[in-house]
This record gives sequence, structure tokens and C-alpha cells, in this order.
Amino acid sequence: MAAVKVNEIHKNDLPWIIEYDESKCIQCGKCVAACSFNAIRPAVELRKSNSITNKGKTERVLVIKQNISLDNYCRGCGMCANVCPNGAIKAVRNRDDKYSVVYRAVKADSFKKGGRSNLNTEGRTLDKIKIGRISQMTDPSLDAQRHTFELRTPFGRVLKADKLNFGKEGEALIETSKLPPNRWIYPVIFGDMSIGAVSWRMWEAMAIATAYLNEVMGIPIRMCTGEGGIPTKLLKSRYVKYMILQIASGHFGWNRIIKAMPDMTEDPAGILIKIGQGAKPGDGGLLLASKVARYVQEIRGVPKADLLSPPTHQGLYSIEESVQKMFLSMNAAFNFKVPVAIKVAASVTSVSVYNNLLRDPYNIVGGFFLDGLAAGTGAAHEISLNHTGHPITSKLRDCYLAAVHQGRQGEIPLFAGGGLGQSGSFAADAFKLICLGANGVFTGRMLMEIAGCVGSDTGKCNACNTGLCPAGIAAQNDNLVKRLDVDKVAQNLVNYILATDIELKKLMAPIGCSSLPIGRSDALITVDKHISNRLDIQYGC
Amino acid sequence: MTCKIKTLNNNNRMSTQELLQTISRKIEEGVTDFEIDACGQHDIGGSCWSKEGKPLKFTITNPGQRVGAMAMDGTKIVVEGSAPADVGWLNSGGEIVVKGDGGDTSAHCAAGGKIYIGGRVGTRSGALMKHDPKFEPPEFWVLKNTGSFSFEFMSGGIAVVCGDGCGELPSVLGNRSCVGMVGGVVYVRGKVEGLANCVEKVKLDKLDKDFLKSGMELFLEKIGRLELKDELLDFSKWVKIIPLPKELKEKKISVKEFKEKEWFKEGLFGDLVEDDGAVYELAQTGDGRLRKPVWDEKLCVGCDLCLSNCPQKAVIKEDKTYKSVDEKCIGCGICSAVCPREAWRMV
Repeated sequence: MAAVKVNEIHKNDLPWIIEYDESKCIQCGKCVAACSFNAIRPAVELRKSNSITNKGKTERVLVIKQNISLDNYCRGCGMCANVCPNGAIKAVRNRDDKYSVVYRAVKADSFKKGGRSNLNTEGRTLDKIKIGRISQMTDPSLDAQRHTFELRTPFGRVLKADKLNFGKEGEALIETSKLPPNRWIYPVIFGDMSIGAVSWRMWEAMAIATAYLNEVMGIPIRMCTGEGGIPTKLLKSRYVKYMILQIASGHFGWNRIIKAMPDMTEDPAGILIKIGQGAKPGDGGLLLASKVARYVQEIRGVPKADLLSPPTHQGLYSIEESVQKMFLSMNAAFNFKVPVAIKVAASVTSVSVYNNLLRDPYNIVGGFFLDGLAAGTGAAHEISLNHTGHPITSKLRDCYLAAVHQGRQGEIPLFAGGGLGQSGSFAADAFKLICLGANGVFTGRMLMEIAGCVGSDTGKCNACNTGLCPAGIAAQNDNLVKRLDVDKVAQNLVNYILATDIELKKLMAPIGCSSLPIGRSDALITVDKHISNRLDIQYGC
Repeated sequence: MTCKIKTLNNNNRMSTQELLQTISRKIEEGVTDFEIDACGQHDIGGSCWSKEGKPLKFTITNPGQRVGAMAMDGTKIVVEGSAPADVGWLNSGGEIVVKGDGGDTSAHCAAGGKIYIGGRVGTRSGALMKHDPKFEPPEFWVLKNTGSFSFEFMSGGIAVVCGDGCGELPSVLGNRSCVGMVGGVVYVRGKVEGLANCVEKVKLDKLDKDFLKSGMELFLEKIGRLELKDELLDFSKWVKIIPLPKELKEKKISVKEFKEKEWFKEGLFGDLVEDDGAVYELAQTGDGRLRKPVWDEKLCVGCDLCLSNCPQKAVIKEDKTYKSVDEKCIGCGICSAVCPREAWRMV
């Protein structure tokens, strides 16, 4: 028998412990076959026999064992339990694990993970806010099921009435100079997850759901591509008009976009310049080599290596410069016909950025996307994911009120994201942010959840960085990707948006709004005095 | 005997309460026929009855809102001229004739009786009309047009909008009428635009035409416009609006059908990855395995433990050669685990 020493890795160091009931196990091997992390194995144990005939003799017993390793360790995804016909195996959280200590101590490296922030020390502001202003006698509520509602929101630069360039030509009203491009879209945007961060099947399911919602259901939802390249055939198809193309600091995939331009029959829905992301603010994109599959290499034009996008767009040193270079060039790229927006991580400095953008002398800033700290990530250093960032709610509110104080609210539409739907109701979170001043919201994590993500905000799975996603969503191993059912995921995404649509109306109706209540913070109350003060909404108890 | 009530005397207006209580008292005294020169008093002609079950008749000028509200079987009301909002609200059996226009929400929630309007009616008219199958359905006849949002949430009864003289209007039913309509029928003559998407316009059948023929003459007689009969009974301009059956309302192609018909034939990534669309199981066989066993002849001692332990019966032995059948093997590694000599390796 091998000697056991203190300074080896032990089962108790690991975050999850496999609980295995030998009496229920039929040794079918499915749990091991299903485990994408190679965290369990079949093994033969030597035992003393208790049977009458062999009493005292050594016998060999086939069992399932947990692998004790810093690399192949159980993430608690639960696939073994899902596939076991007898309920003989499951992963149980180890409350006293030492993994984060041992990993750093042994590997001399920062601990990397994907998925969500797991500390949640900030709590959820949105859960402490209720829709407290209900129309009854003051003005009539609407019928959520049967009345008609206008849920569209502007995406693109909105000019004040006195800045509109209208004139008369004879009796006709004409534009005397070109207005900035503006699109009326659904207030939920499928948030930017790149090809590479998610699997090709997941990305295609999102694209199909987007196209279906637009063309069959008449819901003008938009999908942001993320920055990992876009299949050329999508660029050349009519569906590109539902796609917001992202450009981040890595500029991945833009070669193919530019090459496709002469053959594009439709303009894209918009351009999103990604400066930062809520889950790892101040950090660039990160795609570990294990996820850089052959097609990802091709579409991005890169070798199989860790892909680190720089934390900032190289060559930009100030807000003014970012406006001049990124906004002007991106507007110019599509001949000033496509709205260009920018996404930053929510931060103490967000309002300064927004204030600067509001000065926009060229009318080219088409939207401001703020991403809060509870957002998800394909891969981040744990230290960034759990310890950096700013909650979305107060920062969104700050930006909105900054515009209000200048009488300029709505001129640059605000979109908010980061942990929406975390406590079960995406529509409620979206609605509250809209009342606080958002023109709309964006989400990636909800899409993952809908697709069958098994992860949680308390450390379950969160292995999006490995390429071994057991659900095939963030996987880049062909056999894992093929676990994902594109048709079902697309249908479920559609269904979830239809449900969200009903729920948004269910909240608009009682406050008597048939159009989106952007900035209608009078509709909200909070049961927390600090939140009341900070967000300038009514306190109720 | 007709009881005449004048509600304005020397600039003193009789209150609604005083008027309605006077009417009650007179009915108890046996009066059944009233001529009321009203001055905007509300609810005239509604919720009153004679103990002997004798029919009551009201002839009213200048009524206030809700004339004939909650009118009962046996009550007949004639308004000379127009009436403001809520004519026949919750009408349960009365016959209400307004020779001029009706206001907003005329026939709102009517579930019985007949309401005849000799002009136009306002917004949300006919909303929430109902039909209790134990009684005759309510009828609501309008000579001209309705305002927007009419017949909202209608769930039973019959409405007839004749569109007389409405040729210039973009829609005889205004905009967004029939929202949430789940039952009943609205007959309309003339242009109809902006209907809710939960209803459909269909052609009249014989039963519809018979109903309109028999009802139209009575209606026109009541409002004193019999001369319009031939014109209004030209069925070429009529349609019938009924709620769409639930299955039609939800008839949209599924996402799967959309993908098959509209989406890229080889899939969005067809030229980048090999993917036939098959969905793998968690424990998949063949090429879909996460790990595969490889046998090394040099290390094998031929103990057959792999053969007897393989849960999928995937390991086979031919002469002294062992093989794992790809179509059966799920890659669990039990062959490798039980092998005393590591002749099976998982790769």
C-alpha cells in the first residue's frame, strides 16, 4: 500500500467530494463515461471477505473512486448523479475545502475559473426593490394579457427635438441633414458571448432563436455576437440585421467581417465597442488554449494558444480619443448608417465616461452599455471575478441621473447587465432597471441557464474556462458540444423570451404604462433606507 | 295612465335620487308608463319592476349617464334624441331605444335585452358583452359607427354596426376594436381597420343573413328610419367578426420548422466543423466517447477479467486477441481498472 504523507493532495482539499453507495451500484460505468472532468474512475479495492466460504481471504471489489488531483477534480456538476440509474453516486460540497490555497501553493499561479462570481458579499439590491406604485383609482391599470403594449426601445443616438434637422420643401417636411441612425429594438439583448467562449452549437442556437423571434414572433430582439469572429455566411445573410457586431481589444474576426462587407445585403443591427466586462473589469478577454478549437483558430485567425485580449484598446489613452477613433471609425465603417455603442464595466468612474460621451459633438455615440460585477465570464482569474467590479444598480442610476441633471436623458440610450435573473426573475430585474433609467438590458448568463447550464452562483461547476463544460454550452470538445440539442435550446430561448414578454407586460400594466417606463423610478419603492437614499426612490416599510 | 315628470321647474332641478325614488313610488302605486323630461339625471329606467310583473315603459328626453342601466325584462325605454355614456350598462332584459347617438361605453357589459341606437356610439361600446345560455343573447344595434376599442373583451351576444353614412371613415369600428374578444359576434357594414389580432373577419352565411333581415326591419322601425332598409340589407358590404379559435391564434411554425425551412441548410458552422446534428447521450458509444480503451497484446495475460466485467459486453475475445466493440463501449474504463497488468489503457 502506498504511503500517505501530509503534503500530498487529499480528498479533503478538494471542493467537492463524491459520495458513492456501493450497495446501489450495478457497475454500469456510466458515471465515469459521463464525467467530462475525469474526476472519477473505476477502481479495484482489496477487501477482507466476510462471506462464509471465503472468510478472512482477500477479495477484489470493483468500485467508483474519486480522482485526487489539482487538474482533474470534481466540479460538482452532477452529471454522474444524472446518469446513474440507481442514485448510487453524487457530488457533495466540501465546506472545508482547501482547494484555493493548495492550488496556488502548488502551482505558483493565479487560480482561474469561469462562470460566476461566488462570494456574493454585495447581496442583491434589485431584490430589495418592489414595484410599489400601482395604478388603481389614480389612473387605470391596463390588462396585461389583452391590451397592446409598446415594448420597443431606441438603440442609437437620439437627438433632442430642437436638434432635429427638419425643414420644409414646399409643403413637405424633409431632413435637412442626415439624422444619426436609430433602431427600435426589444429591450432585451442577447449578451455578447463569443464563438469560442461558447460552443458552436450554443452560438447557433442563440442565432436561430434571435432570427425566429424576429421573423416569426415579431419580437425585434437583437443578439450581440461577442468578439470571436462571425461565420461569413451569417454576415452575408439577411439575419445579420439582427446582429450587433462586437469589437473588443483583440479585434478577433474583423478580417472576415471586412472581407464580407461588399457582399452584405443588410446592415448589421449595430456595433458594440467592448471596453470592459463586468465579471473582470480592467482585464482583457481570456480564452484558454484548451478552448481554441480548430474552427475557433480559423475564424479568429489565431494559433492554438491562450488568447489574451489586452485590457484596453491599444492606442486609446483617453475618453476623448476613444470617441474620436473607435466611434468615428466604426460609424464610418458602415457609412454612418449603423448605430455604434460602447460597453464598459460598471465602475466608480462610469459616470465620468458617460458625461464625456454625452457631450458627443458628432452625434455618433449610439448607446452606453454598463456591465455589473455579477456578470458571468468564460474565463477569469478568480481574484478578478470575486473581488473587482461594481454592482450594476447604483451605477446605472448614477449615469441616468447625471443625464437628467443636464436635461439629456435618453439621448444616449443606457443598457444594463450583470447578474440579471440571479434570484429567479429576469423580467423583474429588467423592469426595475428600466424604471431606474435603463433603455434596456442585456444578458448572457440567462441564456446559459436556459440552455441547461448546471452551474450556480455558489461554486457549482463554474468550469466554463476549461472547455469541458458537461452541458456542451461552453465546451470546445466535440463530443461534449454534441451533447447540446440545438433545436431544444433555440426553442427554450424563444419560450423564455415569450415568458419574459408576458411578465414585462404584467409589470407595465399595473403601473398603467403601455410603453416602456424608462426612468419611471416613481414606480419603485425599496424596503431598505440606504438603497432609498442612494437610488433616490421611495422608502417603504 | 301615463305619469309625466318634468324635472326642471323654475330653475329648480330635481335630483337623481328624488327622481328615481319618485319613479319607484309611482310604480308601487300601479303606474307603468312614464314620460320623463329629464335634466341629466342618471340611471333612469334601470333596476325597476312592477310587483305584478306588468311591463314598464319610459319615454325620456335629455337623460344623464347610464340610461337603462341594469334594465330588466319587461322594461321598454325610448330616448328621444341622444344619450350620454353607458346606455344600457349591464342591461339584463330591457329594450332600450336611443333615437340619436349613444355615448361612450354604450351596451357595456350588456347580457340581455336589446339596445337600439339611431346614431353613433362612442369608445369602448359593447365592451364585455356577455351571453348567459339560460337566456336570450343580448343584441346591440347601431345605425352608424362605434368609437375605438369597442367590443373589447366581448364574450357573448350579438352586435350589429350598420355603418350608415360612414363612407368617409377609415374604419366603422374605430381603431383597436375587439381586443381580447373571446365570444359573441359583431356584424359590420363598411370598412374595418385596426382590428385586434385575436379575431377574424368572415363572410356572412345564410343564418347570418336571415338574422339581419328579420332584425333590421324591427330596428329601423324603432328608430324611425325604415327608408334605409333596402340599402342596409345589401349584404355585399357586410362582414362578421368572430374570435379566432385558440388553435389558430397560436398557429406559428416551431423553431425546428423555422430551422428546417429558413435557416442555413448545412447549419451556420457547416463549413467549419463536422456536425450532423445528432445529440449525444451523457454516456455515449462510438466516436462520441470521451475516452476509449486501447489493448496492448504484450501486457495481456489472458485472464478474461475485462471480458467478464465489461458492463456493456463490449469486450470480445477472438483467439487470444481482445477487442472493444466501438458501437457498444461507452468508455467507462472498467476493463482497464480490473486488468491486473494494465493491458487496457484509456486514451
